Amino acid sequence: MSGDLDNRLSGPIDGALHLLDRQLLDSEGRMLGKVDDVELSEIDGRLTITGLLTGPEALLDRFGGRLGRILGERWGQLRVSEPDRTRPWRVDVADVDRLDSAVHLAVRREGVLRRDRERLRLGRLTGMDVEGADGQRIGRVLDARFEPESGRLVLCSLVVGHGRPGTLLGYDRHGRGSAHGPWLLRAIVLALHRHTAIVAAEDAGISWADATVRLRSEPTRPPGHPFR
Amino acid sequence: MKRVFAVALGILTAIGGFVDIGDLVTNAQVGARFGLSLVWVVLMGVLGICVFAEMSGRVAAVSGRATFDLVRERLGPRVGLLNLGASMLITFLTFVAEIGGVALSLQLVSSVHVLLIVPLVGLLVWLVLWRARFSLMENVLGLLGLALVVFAVAVWQLGPDWGALVHQAVTADKPADERWRTYAYYAVALFGAAMTPYEVFFFSSGGVEEHWGPEDLRTMRANVFIGFPLGGILSVAVAASAWLVLGPLEIGVDTLGQVALPVAAALGKVGLAVAIVGFVAATFGAACETGLSVGYSIAQYFGAQWGKYVRPPEAAVFHAILLLATLAATAFLMTAVDPIVVTEVSVVFSAVALPLTYFPILVVANDPDYMGEHGNGRLANALGMVYLVVIGVAAVAAIPLMIWTRMGQ
Repeated sequence: MSGDLDNRLSGPIDGALHLLDRQLLDSEGRMLGKVDDVELSEIDGRLTITGLLTGPEALLDRFGGRLGRILGERWGQLRVSEPDRTRPWRVDVADVDRLDSAVHLAVRREGVLRRDRERLRLGRLTGMDVEGADGQRIGRVLDARFEPESGRLVLCSLVVGHGRPGTLLGYDRHGRGSAHGPWLLRAIVLALHRHTAIVAAEDAGISWADATVRLRSEPTRPPGHPFR
Repeated sequence: MKRVFAVALGILTAIGGFVDIGDLVTNAQVGARFGLSLVWVVLMGVLGICVFAEMSGRVAAVSGRATFDLVRERLGPRVGLLNLGASMLITFLTFVAEIGGVALSLQLVSSVHVLLIVPLVGLLVWLVLWRARFSLMENVLGLLGLALVVFAVAVWQLGPDWGALVHQAVTADKPADERWRTYAYYAVALFGAAMTPYEVFFFSSGGVEEHWGPEDLRTMRANVFIGFPLGGILSVAVAASAWLVLGPLEIGVDTLGQVALPVAAALGKVGLAVAIVGFVAATFGAACETGLSVGYSIAQYFGAQWGKYVRPPEAAVFHAILLLATLAATAFLMTAVDPIVVTEVSVVFSAVALPLTYFPILVVANDPDYMGEHGNGRLANALGMVYLVVIGVAAVAAIPLMIWTRMGQ
């Protein structure tokens, strides 16, 4: 089946493009949910993927805005006697075996989910407003790029753009030289995303409280990336 | 030898599986009014479903992902949910139409009122989805659906002026008493009937569940590129027979009985009996496929366990959806709504919903992250882009034409 695809955990990944919304499969190939969000923790001052979140609460949180908030509240109200109902379910990143077109866990699905701890979420990082060095709003966070480093996936850069449609189609990440067709769609998406740029994580000050990223330098590099 | 047999079986079931209530009713309606002047739309629709099914089958085989996995991954959870809602509304309508079609077919035999048959059909469909060995049912129904070849035999027996038929088909010669706008409306309806989205949901999910790999691509392509066009020929035969028998009498098609009338006229009772067997098999098979498609798609969006080979306790959400969808479809039909009208509406809205799933599949079929070396080639992309435009035009035109022509009156 999908055994021929590369394991993405050994190289850089874009969180929203390659990890969010993927199918979770257990060690026997059975399904147990989607990657509804990704848990981030600060380890040694750097954002690191520490878990995958799944379940309605995490999904509704990513809907964002009023709709997401109201639906999230209603979800909790369905059973107020249940503690931590509004906390999503969590799979520890240590239980992840490989990542290709799905997330394959190293364990059986029975009893693998735990309620999450209050941590940072990738789904809240993407969509944040981005301000330039002069305080001007220059766009939004479209995606976050992670690199493997001593066995962990660590945030290395942010993909920043104007938030136009089509960034999840992947054309803007492979760059202009790629053969990712059809050429007309690629041309349209690249034109829509001509301002999309990449910012190193150390140049970005992430303020979770007011959902804003403040840059210490102007982003210049296009996000073309030697993905395999 | 076993492999040849498997390929042949796949092709045969694809022929029977291609024709459903939408194809039967729309082709008979179009045939009775426009003769073969809209055959070019059937050809376009058949080539379109081949392009669409081949891409989604290839994506399923190489990446192991079915349609609504990809819709959510490429469009995000919000747009993906809207997409799911719209696509499932249409697929549910088709499900209702198919169950109604089975009931109408059985009514032709039994003369029992259709509302008494509907609950029975609903129960049977659900039992098949819940308990039956589905691969067996799929093959039996697909093969019985081949009984619809009787329409081609009927055309031959009616001894038409072949030259005139071919001329009408090649020159798209609209009968003088019909307007161009109704012609355009029925063109969209025929296109929607040939390219119903559920066929792809079912096809790709089935491929994932049967663990297709890159080595199965040739078998998959044989099924698609031989089976669907042969099914398209059955559709054309339905239209031609309707034109030959109903056209001169100015009879429109409002019931399933009228769809079968040309066969009765050409071949008598035996022909009619064979045609009804074909109706029951084709619509029952399609009812199972649409029902499963609803369950597959919703479960895929939320990541819940799905699968017709998975025992119900292992895939509780999936089976709960199947049960609820079947109950809701049965209840809908029990309001005495005319299944033929539901069919007419469902094929037009199928055309509206097509781009929602076609577009993400086209993108992913090109994506090296999913496809490795099996991405779209030049031909697949050229056809893919042409059809993206065609599907877009049909989707935009469908509802205005529906209102303007008052559903083709």
